[in-house]
Amino acid sequence: MIKDIPIIAEQAQQPRRTNPLAHVFDELMNFARSRSLFMLHYCTGCGAIELPPAMTSRFDMERLGIQPMVTPRQADILLVTGYVSIKTLKRIILTYEQMGSPKHVIGICSCTVNGGMYWQSYATAKKLDEYLPVDLYIAGCMPRPEAVISGLQKLIDNIKHGKSDNWKDYYQRYDHYLGNQQHLFGNNWQTPTDVIGEAREYGLFGPQTLGQHTELLESVQKPLQPLEMKL
Amino acid sequence: MTPLDYLLLLSLLTVVIALVAGHRSMGGVWLTFTYAAQLGGLMLMAGLTNQPDVITSSLSFTILGQSLTWRYDALSWYFALITISAGLLSTMYTAGDWGEKFRADGGNLWLLHVAIALNVLSMLILLGSGDLLTLFIGWELVSWASFLLMILAGGPSIQAAIRYITYAMGGAMAILAGLALIYGHTDSFTYPAAANILHSLSTAHLWAPLLLLTLGFGVKMALLPLHLWQAAAYAHTPGPGAAFLGAISSRMGLYALIVVLIQLVGLVRVIELPVLFSFISARDVLAWVAAFTIIFPTFTALRQNDARMLLAWHGIGQGGYMLLGLVMGDALGSAGGLMHVFNHATYQAALFFSVAAVVYRTGTADLNRLGGLVARMPLSFLAMLVGIIGLAGLPPMNGFVSKWLVYRSLMLEGEPLLFVAAVVGTLGTILSVYKLIHNMFLGQLRVEHENIREAPWSMTAPMLILSVVVFVTGLMPGLVLQWIAGIQATVGLPVIDYSLGGLDSAQGSLDMLWVVGVLFAGFGIGAVLFYSGGRTHRVHQLDNYAGGHFLSADIRYHYSDNFYPGLMRLIGPLYRYSFAWLESAVQSGLGLLSLSTQGFYRRVAPANYALVTAVLVLLWVML
Repeated sequence: MIKDIPIIAEQAQQPRRTNPLAHVFDELMNFARSRSLFMLHYCTGCGAIELPPAMTSRFDMERLGIQPMVTPRQADILLVTGYVSIKTLKRIILTYEQMGSPKHVIGICSCTVNGGMYWQSYATAKKLDEYLPVDLYIAGCMPRPEAVISGLQKLIDNIKHGKSDNWKDYYQRYDHYLGNQQHLFGNNWQTPTDVIGEAREYGLFGPQTLGQHTELLESVQKPLQPLEMKL
Repeated sequence: MTPLDYLLLLSLLTVVIALVAGHRSMGGVWLTFTYAAQLGGLMLMAGLTNQPDVITSSLSFTILGQSLTWRYDALSWYFALITISAGLLSTMYTAGDWGEKFRADGGNLWLLHVAIALNVLSMLILLGSGDLLTLFIGWELVSWASFLLMILAGGPSIQAAIRYITYAMGGAMAILAGLALIYGHTDSFTYPAAANILHSLSTAHLWAPLLLLTLGFGVKMALLPLHLWQAAAYAHTPGPGAAFLGAISSRMGLYALIVVLIQLVGLVRVIELPVLFSFISARDVLAWVAAFTIIFPTFTALRQNDARMLLAWHGIGQGGYMLLGLVMGDALGSAGGLMHVFNHATYQAALFFSVAAVVYRTGTADLNRLGGLVARMPLSFLAMLVGIIGLAGLPPMNGFVSKWLVYRSLMLEGEPLLFVAAVVGTLGTILSVYKLIHNMFLGQLRVEHENIREAPWSMTAPMLILSVVVFVTGLMPGLVLQWIAGIQATVGLPVIDYSLGGLDSAQGSLDMLWVVGVLFAGFGIGAVLFYSGGRTHRVHQLDNYAGGHFLSADIRYHYSDNFYPGLMRLIGPLYRYSFAWLESAVQSGLGLLSLSTQGFYRRVAPANYALVTAVLVLLWVML
């Protein structure tokens, strides 16, 4: 049931753009984005211990334009720093879906790549990219701050060159990710975020956005109570 | 028949209509029209604001050689405008569904209409007083009329109203004693005679009537330490009644203080008048009383958990700004103090209306049992938002202008400590109004309020009218300042040099047209950035980040209890309830005194008297 996914998703058909300056704007936007990254303060597992030195004066990720941020709504990067238990994974997915696009996931430590030393654990998700589109892995147990910094520089490079678009993959192949999540969490799994609605709104609807898993989701989904403005 | 006669007769007619038709379903509507007619009658006298002139009533008596007269000048006109408008909007609010529900819940709607009409009439009579005796008669009328309005709801309001009337009677006795002292010097109650004699009195002799009158009128103003009655008495009055009282009732004390301090004694004399054996003057005493009246009630308001109590405590605190500005005595300060009367009336009534609308829909004003109502009652929210910006004294609302004038005056007069006191009061105001709007309208909607609707138009219309007034007079304070300038010319204060947008004079300049323009330009830039930024996606309130938790409606995430715990850890130990303690000490002291004097006329223990007499006689014989 679980398939391997490529790290860089294939691009969906984009409408041809007529603006002759579109490319220039894209370059500018990508540059600006790559130099102003906010990293959500959401760490899991033991790899988090390497982040304080990476953030503070010795390695100082702020010189690269990367700062911690307290809410997912304003954050660009989600760091998953260490083994991901099934319970934690639910929260990671909830948080990831609440982040505004474009957003990037970095898996730090071996555990996020293949379960690492928790390979035999019944309660640990083995491969993070089965559940979320991961932009970059930084392997190691744990990777030193130099490795974290170099991984972040790689992410900046990718963003600058427009190669870090995996967040679109989550919308375009939502059915696939949802299926893996349902496989792990059970059929009643749901998050408050309406991913399908967002995909439709942002024009990221792909052929695999809907499927048998989203049908299952719709059949079990309990909507949040409405809270609209009334006169 | 002068316009003043028409006004008083119309007001009397309103009382009669309230008596006859107050219980009818259309009675409130008719009363609304008669209040509008009173407002029209007042507008006939609008010429008063331009020149220092008086309109005398043909109503007058002569009793024991004293002629009682009533007349209106610019000062009376300004206070009467606020009074009648407050009566008009309160009655409009009561006339519709609110009154129906009040009646259905067992309230006496007829009595409420009569009480508000009587209050307006008695205030108009007080404001027209042409000599000290009519001032006292009007004062008593106002005291008893507001007592009626406070007590009519029954329940907890009875105790509060009786507390009020106890204070008011004590104050009235002080006023009577002060008037008797003045009469003893002059044999006349007319203002010019009183002013003459007060000017010629020596410092020591002036203190007694000044102190007595200030204490007496200060009770109504709720000046420290005579303020304890006010919050509960106003808060427990039914919704529109509380709005009426909060808007104007205690300002009658300010009116009387203006008459005494500025028209009779003269502010120059008050500024010079030294406190015996010290280096401070009577003005300093008044200013510091006003400053403490700002600070203590405002920080008491911060601790209230009932929205109506919170607003009522602010009513006391804001009165301090009016007195503080007024006793500064310069053009800016007195204009700020006088303008604050109008501004406070507008936003305070809007706030009480908004809270009453919430009580109407939800049945509670407990700040711990509300929240998220903006999604259900957006117009009430809007009125409250405008009102609290005014109350906190922030642009672009009118409260900013009057507070700015007071601050500016305090700086120009070289009173940095009073300035700091005023700013500390404003800080407390901002904190507590944020608590008010957050706990009622922002945050998470309670499940039991899921299906409530906006208040009906008869209730939202008055508060929206007031919101517009609060904003427009904030944008163009010149509209109010022209009346203020008329008052200043009439009562003999330096006249403010105003313009439509504020003032443009050597003492400072403020152009609210520019301030508001720049503010809204800022909002506009933000709005352009926000709406032109492209696609926005509205998310559900429960689709929110809480450290990765899954939020659900059955758990409350709206923190309302123990607001500002960090601040309270710092200033909490300073709340010692000293004034309540002082009040109970005076109460028990008086109780002891009356108990001991009872013995004299009840003759409960004649043996004791015999013993004391025998001892005294023995002592006299032996010595």
